[in-house]
Amino acid sequence: MHHAHIDKFAYQDSPVHRLDSRVKFIVVLVFTALVISLPRTSVSILACYAVGPFAILVLAGIPLRFVFKHILLVSPFVLILALSCPLYDKTPVSVAFGPFLWNTSVGWMRCFTILGKFTVTMLALIALISTTRFNDLLTGLQRLGLPRLLVIQLGFLYRYIFVLIDRAHRILRARAGRRLRRLKFRAELQIAASMLGSLFIRSIDAAEHINIAMQARGFDGNWRTLSKLQIRRCDLFFLLAAVVFMLGIYFFVKPILL
Amino acid sequence: MHMANELLSVPVAAGSAAIAAAGLGFICRKVRQIITAEKLALMGILGAFVFAAQMVNFQLPAMPGTSGHMVGAVLLAIILGPHMGAIVISSVVIIQCLIFQDGGLLALGCNIINIALVPSYLGYFLYRTVTAGPFNSLRAYVGAVLACVIAMQGSAALVPVQAALSGVLAVPFTTFLITMLGVHLLVGLVEGLITVAVLGYLQQVRPDIVVNSLPGKVRLSKKAVLATLVIFTIVIGAGISLLASDKPDGLEWSYAERPDQPDFEGIISNDSPTIAAADKLQARYSLLPDYSLRSSVIGDTAENHVEASAGWTSFAGVVGSAATMVLIWLIARVLRKKERLQA
Repeated sequence: MHHAHIDKFAYQDSPVHRLDSRVKFIVVLVFTALVISLPRTSVSILACYAVGPFAILVLAGIPLRFVFKHILLVSPFVLILALSCPLYDKTPVSVAFGPFLWNTSVGWMRCFTILGKFTVTMLALIALISTTRFNDLLTGLQRLGLPRLLVIQLGFLYRYIFVLIDRAHRILRARAGRRLRRLKFRAELQIAASMLGSLFIRSIDAAEHINIAMQARGFDGNWRTLSKLQIRRCDLFFLLAAVVFMLGIYFFVKPILL
Repeated sequence: MHMANELLSVPVAAGSAAIAAAGLGFICRKVRQIITAEKLALMGILGAFVFAAQMVNFQLPAMPGTSGHMVGAVLLAIILGPHMGAIVISSVVIIQCLIFQDGGLLALGCNIINIALVPSYLGYFLYRTVTAGPFNSLRAYVGAVLACVIAMQGSAALVPVQAALSGVLAVPFTTFLITMLGVHLLVGLVEGLITVAVLGYLQQVRPDIVVNSLPGKVRLSKKAVLATLVIFTIVIGAGISLLASDKPDGLEWSYAERPDQPDFEGIISNDSPTIAAADKLQARYSLLPDYSLRSSVIGDTAENHVEASAGWTSFAGVVGSAATMVLIWLIARVLRKKERLQA
């Protein structure tokens, strides 16, 4: 397997990595909700909110270039919607920002708010995923009440995504080596369909083999993990810090900036 | 297709998350009763198959440079049955959100409803309705195309509805709806064609999979599906009509636009010239229009002068935050260098 794992940094070690996955998940969820519920014209306060996830990312030693490259990679849909705002909302406003002053429209402000919220919430989500091993996250989610079937399903899925993506890459390389010109749509479709079909059948066969292997090792439909989740003192400290940060912005910074 | 956090308000996100969670919980319990441990690996791997299938792209006609790929929700629903299909696609959506950050955490509920639940059940129901009776390949193909197109339309229509219910939309609702439906009509057609082609291939190589479907599959009762559809339509219809009734207030966002509306300005300029001047001054200096409105309604000049510095406050906020982040980064860098030297 020679592709870049997206969550490869989850296997590092740092104080953030050692935190309980439930605490991290809930903090990120609340943080996202707080950021999203901000009024649609508040641009500057987003910078204050960004400090939190930024600090976590730096503390955990995640390369910032990776983070921003990844945010850029997932942004197209939001980018289109944000950029369509100025087209529809041309109410003029003057914006004063320190020594600068310029006239824009409300649409542009909304555009920047959307992009800012997107960036900040993505920072938080990446901070969660790149500091938590997926298995720990799943165990935590199961403790939080995710159905067991779904947890097992997610575990299997995560285990085999990259295996099958590798397989698909191999098939794609074979096609690229044989198809030397543009084909008609019908032929294209037929080739793609046989690729997908064979991938599908191979997946089903693989599932059978895996199932036999797992049954031989005593798999009875229950997921057993070694990791024992428990809330320790550092988790409580992190929770306290997060609560203080969010409440602080909510009660002290927000009234000043808004 | 994936909803982003920014398109939702917290109540809508929470509501749809609750609906998705309830639906998934119900389906999980139902599936748990039917399937054995052997099926667990199969479901997991087919979820991974969906990811791999999205890598297999093919060129589209008439639009050079563009390529399509399969989504696979309807194919899985046809082969696995709607319950298992819905769970597999839901898990795909969850992984897309968590590992690949495609679609936000708050929007997860919406995404599960739009991408997993609706296409699985709607697609399966349409396919079953068309192909009722003994297996006939033509009918199966027509059914698959129809299922893909309509399921895709159904889920594409939900995106603008959810965004509009949140009141976040700057784009007019109908424009957004028509764009989404139009784009996804094409996507659905391509999806239908590739699904049919894959079904044809499977029919040749492993006919047992297509005709009998895999064991452990459930049939849907027609009445249950119809009842769900009716309830769904009523809920959505009620939502839209609510939206239409308070459109001037709910969709247009109330505060920021008004200072520039002529009648609103009239109210303000009725007052003394000092207030008008202060209002102008403060309109110049405020970064946040809704704030400026609040102070102009109060009409207190002294307060307005305080407000005039709002531009500087927000400047300080942004610059301060940026400085904090740079400081954090520098400290971390220095500490790490020290660590490396010691090691």
